[in-house]
Amino acid sequence: MRRNVAIIGCGQTKHTSKRRDVNIAEMVSEAVYNALEDAQVSLREVDAFVVGNMQGFGGIAQPEQWLGDSIGAPGKSVIRIATGGTTGGSVGQGAYYTVASGLHDVAVAVAWEKHSDSREAGATTGLLHVGLGNFFHAASYGLSLKNLVATSAVGAAAGVAVFQAVFYMHRSGCSIEHFDMVAAKARRNAAKNKYAHLQWPGCTPEDIARTEIIAYPFRYGHICPASDGASAIVVAEENLARKKARQPAWFKGLAAFSDEENSLQSENFGGVGVLDPSEQKGCWMSATKAYKMAGIKDPQKEIDVAEVYQPFPSQELIFAERLGLFDEGTAWMALEKGETDIDGRMPLDPSGGVNATNAIGSTALQRILECALQIMGKAEEHQVPRKVSNAVAHGWGGVTNYITVTVLGDSPGR
Amino acid sequence: MGYVKEERPTTISVEGTWNIGSYHYKGSKLMEEYVKGLKQKKLIGSFCPGCGKVIVPPRNLCGRCHRIMDRRKIVSNRGTITCFIVTPPMEKGKLKVLGMDPVETGLIKEGEVVIPVFVKFDGSDSNTDTILLNVDPKAVHIGMRVKVLWAKEPQGALSDFEGVEPV
Repeated sequence: MRRNVAIIGCGQTKHTSKRRDVNIAEMVSEAVYNALEDAQVSLREVDAFVVGNMQGFGGIAQPEQWLGDSIGAPGKSVIRIATGGTTGGSVGQGAYYTVASGLHDVAVAVAWEKHSDSREAGATTGLLHVGLGNFFHAASYGLSLKNLVATSAVGAAAGVAVFQAVFYMHRSGCSIEHFDMVAAKARRNAAKNKYAHLQWPGCTPEDIARTEIIAYPFRYGHICPASDGASAIVVAEENLARKKARQPAWFKGLAAFSDEENSLQSENFGGVGVLDPSEQKGCWMSATKAYKMAGIKDPQKEIDVAEVYQPFPSQELIFAERLGLFDEGTAWMALEKGETDIDGRMPLDPSGGVNATNAIGSTALQRILECALQIMGKAEEHQVPRKVSNAVAHGWGGVTNYITVTVLGDSPGR
Repeated sequence: MGYVKEERPTTISVEGTWNIGSYHYKGSKLMEEYVKGLKQKKLIGSFCPGCGKVIVPPRNLCGRCHRIMDRRKIVSNRGTITCFIVTPPMEKGKLKVLGMDPVETGLIKEGEVVIPVFVKFDGSDSNTDTILLNVDPKAVHIGMRVKVLWAKEPQGALSDFEGVEPV
């Protein structure tokens, strides 16, 4: 029998391009101690840590061995999880399993990325590590080295996402102007979030439209930054949660599925069997399962706010539909009407989302953390102006085909 | 116990190299079959006995029904573009892929506009990932008909399939 579990505290670092004043261990412990302080929980009360970042990023293979001391993990249970871009989502869900199973009463989930530790743009050292393993595998996509490089020239995840965006535009009828609108909204929202990276108060779609095209339909202004930063949540069983938090954010439902819908790197040995990379069946499967567990029948009516994983603006639209928040092919129409704004009918990424802040390993945990802040009423300037009973947090990663969906609520729901 | 920060004010860098040649990977037999086909200017796909889909290049297992795809089918050299990307002209020093500068290494020419595409070859059900060549970038569209551009003297290598060009 699983136990009721809630988030009772959240901690983040300020996200920025370069945190040269700290190393990974110091940066991660900043987030952990912020979360413990927010939860009013002492280190002594913590039983377990679930930690993670992108595998190999920052050039560190086993970061948990380095930072364990700094976060106070010795003598406690530690698990490291790495699932690519979804790492943070899996880390958050891992903390849930740790407590819901009855193994431990209080767990801290912490996830991070420190891109600036790699000299090359992005986290190329890490991507090379990930890419190299996949490189030989990539030979089975039938691409020669020249063509593999040419295809990769549009960027790692960006290359995948740009294909996905073209498919979505073609079938939904949305245009590049809608991507400008999503990106401008992300930067405006981020300006209200003191931890966010790309903050631009009053940013307009026209501002974004003035930036250079990188690979049609993506402009420079559409692309997420590479951020240094960490985020952490404190997860506790029901009795302690009620004692410690005035309004805990309860885990109501969660799921993680993958599908073959990645344009380049198939998990099942080569070939590109996908006809539409924007189909994202894995997200639909995850949402369906998580909503069922949460007792949510109509997400369009019952979800009050969503944190969608959208490093690229097309993905806010694609995944909002796959999360059941809008009918098929209509998210861009809702965007036009302002329904996805902070004060709209279905606020999407009031924090600014991944599009404004992207410390990769941490980003999917931040989606969970931001949903928790909305439920706890602690989102400060980017708090949505309504009672938040249910919020949905999404993650996209793996080899661009893996999805985590987590539904949080203001009551355990059972 | 609490938050500890070392005295050093900033992070430091240490020079070093990483020998990627020290790794070994097992090759795929399917790709041997595929490149043998390429040498004869034939595109080989695998057929799924479960859903009937034909996937090019071939793969072992069907992603959706998980059946073993042990039957082969030769598909047409002609197909339709289902998706495309147009890059700005490539420049030296602007980009690194797999740790190298593709313009510096000569894989992409200075000023070259790269057009990665998905092609659904006639008789297949999958998108084959490749690049579109010999085309005016402004003319590219979804639904465009294309054919394989073969190397002048196929060697039985992936590079025999240079890309696709308009019909």
